[in-house]
Amino acid sequence: MDVLNRLDRLELLVVTGKGGVGKSTITAALGALLANRGRKVLLIEVDPRENLHHLLETPPSGGEIVEAASNLHLQHIEPRQLLDDVVREKLKVGTLVRKVLASPVYQHFTEGAPGLKQTAVFGRAMRMVEGHGPKQLRKPDVVILDAPASGHGISWMAAPQLVFEVISSGPVGHMASQIATFLKDRNRFGSVVVTSAEEMPIQEAFELFDAMDERLGRQPELVVANAIYPPLPGRAGRDASSRLWARRRAVNEHELARLAERWSGAMAEVPLEPIDAGPSLVGVVGQHLRRALEDR
Amino acid sequence: MTDPSKHPLVIVVGSGGVGKTTLAAALGLRSTRTGDDSLVMTFDPSLRLKDALGVGDEAREEDTRVKTGGPGGLWASLLDARLTFDKLIDRYAPDEEARQRILTNRFYDRLSANLAGVLEYMASERLFEVSSSDRYSKIILDTPPTRQALDFLGAPERIVSFLDSGAVRIALKPWFDADGKLKVTSKLGMIGRNVEGFFDRMVGLELLRDMAEFFKAFAPLFGGFKERALQVQDLLRSPRTLFVLVSGPGSGRVADTLFFARRLTEAGYHLGPIVVNRVHPELPPVRDTANQGRRLMEWLGRRDHQGVAELRDLVGASHPVVEIPLLPDEPTDLKSLDALGGLFEGRLEEAMARASS
Repeated sequence: MDVLNRLDRLELLVVTGKGGVGKSTITAALGALLANRGRKVLLIEVDPRENLHHLLETPPSGGEIVEAASNLHLQHIEPRQLLDDVVREKLKVGTLVRKVLASPVYQHFTEGAPGLKQTAVFGRAMRMVEGHGPKQLRKPDVVILDAPASGHGISWMAAPQLVFEVISSGPVGHMASQIATFLKDRNRFGSVVVTSAEEMPIQEAFELFDAMDERLGRQPELVVANAIYPPLPGRAGRDASSRLWARRRAVNEHELARLAERWSGAMAEVPLEPIDAGPSLVGVVGQHLRRALEDR
Repeated sequence: MTDPSKHPLVIVVGSGGVGKTTLAAALGLRSTRTGDDSLVMTFDPSLRLKDALGVGDEAREEDTRVKTGGPGGLWASLLDARLTFDKLIDRYAPDEEARQRILTNRFYDRLSANLAGVLEYMASERLFEVSSSDRYSKIILDTPPTRQALDFLGAPERIVSFLDSGAVRIALKPWFDADGKLKVTSKLGMIGRNVEGFFDRMVGLELLRDMAEFFKAFAPLFGGFKERALQVQDLLRSPRTLFVLVSGPGSGRVADTLFFARRLTEAGYHLGPIVVNRVHPELPPVRDTANQGRRLMEWLGRRDHQGVAELRDLVGASHPVVEIPLLPDEPTDLKSLDALGGLFEGRLEEAMARASS
């Protein structure tokens, strides 16, 4: 099946990649692309330093759902806040809630326990696509998560399974198991790997493919090679800057070839564009993505 | 004092993917020229950098000598969280039985490599070990590839605060009787019962049992842990330790870099130079707008130099802003690493002269 049609059907997409490869730009562009195709899209970012609102020129989310364009929404989420909400919901009694939230044991547990925050974010996304969102956006068709660059993307995708293996009973274990099942469902969940065509990011993408295979038994829906230097025009000079450009292009080509040897799935190359971060960059990158995916 | 060559411990920090590791290796290599015996400690180096240094995976187990020509020696060490943790247990477990109990505990096995802050803590553990051994006159530490490299620096303090929080005390309570059932009679008072009751409902008893076992097995180690976490913290804040902040190019990164710089100095660390890495060359504008690639290169050059200028305006007086040009090739051997180090030194001197004028 055509990649775009396939992406159209998914309910949750995670965008992962090493820091500095333009992950947020690709998240926003992919969101804009799917919104233009008639999907109601919610972009979620969890990085404490908000980024997406700059790219889409909206006020910062501050935890609220913000409409960036028709069908396109964004929200910044503090994972810790989600966990606190679970406590409130389960304990109900105000004094108990306050005691638990203020307890250093709880604070250290939620900070330190691996996978708990990630699982809470996925849980939130899952509830929204199932129609339990707040009034402003009851049921987005798809949630796109801009996963933070800390470690490998696998630490996000494998988190619910890890939580379930450790906490196999109680409501947390039950929730983790439901989310882990959701992430295994090819008709509902998919991932997009963003990389630049440089050695380390490509290497990390390979490691991610292996880890996904081993821990989730699946592969990404799409790989985006971002910020590619354009080919040198035939009449370029021999000065230092042309040599530098030629060399960077050669590195890009070498790494793209290495990627092509390893990855035979859907792939989009996005060239570097001389445009400042903002809605016009998102629009142009979205067009590159659309063209690359329609060509396939 | 903002010159890394004058400090026995240099810590290279910054976001992922900005070239920290390569710069750390270059700084280490340069210091051997003046006769230092230097150690470069790093996480996750690229294959190419390992090739350039001529070291392989054996550097995960022990400091590995790099074949350099200078009067001083250069060693490389690749950090591995799980391995360091295991070694720590080897050293501190009171007896073989306790050691086995920890190593085979399910909680330890699943979580030691995943637990937030463990990698960071283990790095500072290793750092303390080598810095107190006096084996090296110079240590360069490349920090973990986390977006918030500051997590690394906070790790010792978090461990201490965790140990002081009562979490351990609660975990060490005799929660379970001989049959592995939760003792409902434990006299923990109102709050203890509420918190425990909450955990019981939320996460179930199985996890608590594993954790209790883990902490019990680990209890004899905690004393040493805490003491050393405090010592590491002193070492990191010592005026003999200098931080080098590395950033990617472009005006879009300035806010991020300033954020890092402020957090570091506010936390009492000594921040020296701020390195803006991989800066595109500034090109004279051309009228030929049909040449899109040339227009792109011009735009990149403008963007990157604007970023450097903004940083200099904002923090240049207190921290030399060192710009390293984008090189046609990343260093692939000792010669090109040395050239990068030389480039850094030259640019640093210029930046320091600029700051003092």
